Amino acid sequence: MMFVKKAAAVTLGLTLLLPVAGHTDDKDVIAYRQHIMKSLEHQTAALGQILSGAGPAENTLAHMETLALTASIALKSFEAKVPGGAAKPEVWSNWADFSKRMKEFAEKSAEMAKVGREQGVDQAAMLVIEALPCKGCHDDYRNEKS
Amino acid sequence: MLHRSAALPGLAWAAIACAGSLLPVSGFADDQDVRDYRSHIMKTMGEQLAALDQITKGKAPAGDVLAQAEVLSITAGLAKLAFTPKVEGGRAKPEVWREWDDFSKRLDEMAAAAADLASAAKQGGVAAVTPKLGSLSCKGCHDVYREPKK
Repeated sequence: MMFVKKAAAVTLGLTLLLPVAGHTDDKDVIAYRQHIMKSLEHQTAALGQILSGAGPAENTLAHMETLALTASIALKSFEAKVPGGAAKPEVWSNWADFSKRMKEFAEKSAEMAKVGREQGVDQAAMLVIEALPCKGCHDDYRNEKS
Repeated sequence: MLHRSAALPGLAWAAIACAGSLLPVSGFADDQDVRDYRSHIMKTMGEQLAALDQITKGKAPAGDVLAQAEVLSITAGLAKLAFTPKVEGGRAKPEVWREWDDFSKRLDEMAAAAADLASAAKQGGVAAVTPKLGSLSCKGCHDVYREPKK
């Protein structure tokens, strides 16, 4: 039993230290996660416009769906421990907290999209604040834009 | 129709300004809102295509291909509506509206190609997406309808 626990710990450690399959070098890792985060930023801004009455309301659910899809792959793009870009080193030094927040982001944005599909976007809009807690995470884990 | 007051409780809507600035509270009729919204749509597609390009070149996780392709497809389906209000500015050339039949036809074709790409991703993963990614070449349209970066 002890061996199994140690083996699991080693495996987890290696998972965090080794490059994620598919990336050929550190530059690729940083570029890819930036594409994901910037896409999220534009999707969120578009949804924000709509919810503040400054965008086409008929696109609300579409933006909720894309946010949920992108959130579902966001954490994986940080699994390779490659500091750089706007990511603070705390992403990896506080990995347990960071990954917990990213998982919650994925779960809650998926719930928002599901409610949008099943109960309508007015109901789903009530979940936006919880589903998109971008600022709290950025304050702790993202460097200020220069 | 979703109204702001019904959508979010109190002033909570302000907290969703993840992009770093509070968005104006006004109707879509505001010209800057129109420009901002279509810019978000086009930039989302730019990021999605760049991510898919990395994936097809083996520089990003193959397992993400379906999610990335679906986001691209959904967003491409919104692009024409974003340009429908005739509001010049941003990087859109006036030709967008002067040549609307051609421009909107190209957007329809792009949306169809993106939907086809997402379908390919679902059925065949990266191997099926790679040969189709070229059909989404943005350059042809950008050369005619987008101002160069200043």
